[in-house]
Amino acid sequence: MRLGVVRGSVVLSLAVPELHGIRLAIVEPITRERLASGGNLGGGKPIVAADKLGSGVGHVVGFVEGRTAASPFWPGKVPVDAYCALIVENIDYHPPGAANSSVRKASS
Amino acid sequence: MFLARIDGTVTSTVKHETLAGLRLLIGQRLETDGSPSGDPLVLVDTMGARQGSTVLVTTDNEPLRKAVGNTTPARLLVAGIVDQIYKEGTP
Repeated sequence: MRLGVVRGSVVLSLAVPELHGIRLAIVEPITRERLASGGNLGGGKPIVAADKLGSGVGHVVGFVEGRTAASPFWPGKVPVDAYCALIVENIDYHPPGAANSSVRKASS
Repeated sequence: MFLARIDGTVTSTVKHETLAGLRLLIGQRLETDGSPSGDPLVLVDTMGARQGSTVLVTTDNEPLRKAVGNTTPARLLVAGIVDQIYKEGTP
């Protein structure tokens, strides 16, 4: 699971039946440099992730990628490979090098 | 499996129901020389890994599926806490 910032959502006019009713969020992954700098989060290549949690723009989320992203829809089979698994409340991040320490609440 | 250093923690109340009660840590995957590799990762920890610990992370979802159910999206689990690493050049 990586961390990302919700930038928006996608609505489809036509979709494979398995995707009907699934909310799709645009998530910008948070890179190590951005998380350590404590400035504006993000920095990665945006992806589209299925979201059942109702995350909003600006929320920091944990998203999973790969086959297990479809596990919440089990035993249904859906063509989903990214999924918002949690909305972050607080991040406590202290990589080596004290200057990089940061504690951050998710914006909401 | 790969090695990671624990750089922090994450708290969350709104999350997939299978993640309730699990300890979530921020792990940084490491290169062989100990330098960071890739983006920070959210890991599930049941072993009590601490800030700065080097841990072994598995990407197999089987242990978590067994523990919290088949529908869990989580996959990255702290499978062990590293005591010592031996590699070329280690006396």
